[in-house]
Amino acid sequence: MSVDTLVVEGREIALDQDACLCSLADWSPQVAQALAAREGMELTDAHWEVLYLLQQFYTQFQLSPANRALVKYVALNLGKDKGNSLYLNGLFNGMPAKLAARLAGLPKPANCF
Amino acid sequence: MTTLHIINAAPTQTTQLSSCLRVLSAGDGIVFCGEAVQALRAGSLAAQQLQGIDHSCKVYALEEDVLARAIDAEALPVTLLDYPAFVALCVAYSRVSSWT
Amino acid sequence: MAKSVLLISRQAPWAGIGAAEALDIALAAGAFDLPLSILFMDDGVLQLLDQQQPQALEQKDLSANLQALPMFGIEQLYVAQHCLTVRGLADNPLALTAERVDDQRIQQLIRQHDYVMTL
Repeated sequence: MSVDTLVVEGREIALDQDACLCSLADWSPQVAQALAAREGMELTDAHWEVLYLLQQFYTQFQLSPANRALVKYVALNLGKDKGNSLYLNGLFNGMPAKLAARLAGLPKPANCF
Repeated sequence: MTTLHIINAAPTQTTQLSSCLRVLSAGDGIVFCGEAVQALRAGSLAAQQLQGIDHSCKVYALEEDVLARAIDAEALPVTLLDYPAFVALCVAYSRVSSWT
Repeated sequence: MAKSVLLISRQAPWAGIGAAEALDIALAAGAFDLPLSILFMDDGVLQLLDQQQPQALEQKDLSANLQALPMFGIEQLYVAQHCLTVRGLADNPLALTAERVDDQRIQQLIRQHDYVMTL
């Protein structure tokens, strides 16, 4: 259910109670940048590769990963240098699963504080 | 390391009982409650299957459910329980498997 | 050490919420690093069927969700061979890598875990 909206390039985008997109179809890199700006973040290549990987996870499994699953999936696809909590916490303000899912246009992961 | 299996659906409605009997270990117990006590009706297919279980396994049933359904519990070696006894039994076994 | 749980999933994916609830429990356990194994039994074995098209019923794709279990650290997956056999699926490929187990092995699995939870 939409409780908030985000305006990107004149388009109104519906957000749910977790500040996640109501529909993944609304997502674009510009939307991700606008969502990141709300968090006071600037997206770099290091962020983008994780966001695209998350979208791949979602396409494959139809759900958003919790931290542990995210770490494992990143390690599997981008190597252990990036697939660890320290690296991902650093990129995503200490809450990688929750914040990265939001920026990638996915619903909030279950079992995530 | 024995298990107490709890069955609450009639044997003619679900596979709870038949599946439980396939994986019953020596020393395990089975409690029948609710509609599941139909399995104790003398001459029924389920009652015959129960007669074939390992002798180290014990069969229990909630007394009120047996009485309500006019089941003659004398026909099978079954111990009737009230709720306090049911609770005590759950604690006595290593684990409880509720076949809902 | 955390107590171990054997989750027995006995419902078909299209028959109500039991199968999805079992998966939710498993994913939550995985997220919190609890030792949990899953045994697919009775109609629950149907969750592992390949080539399901749940979109036809406007349902979520449970078999896609199940594939995520290893990512959540849930890797002890078992399926009751007898239950596959009586459903004509003895030799069918499964959508998930699960060990096919006989009744005796299931007895062992129950005894090896601290808790048994059935859905």
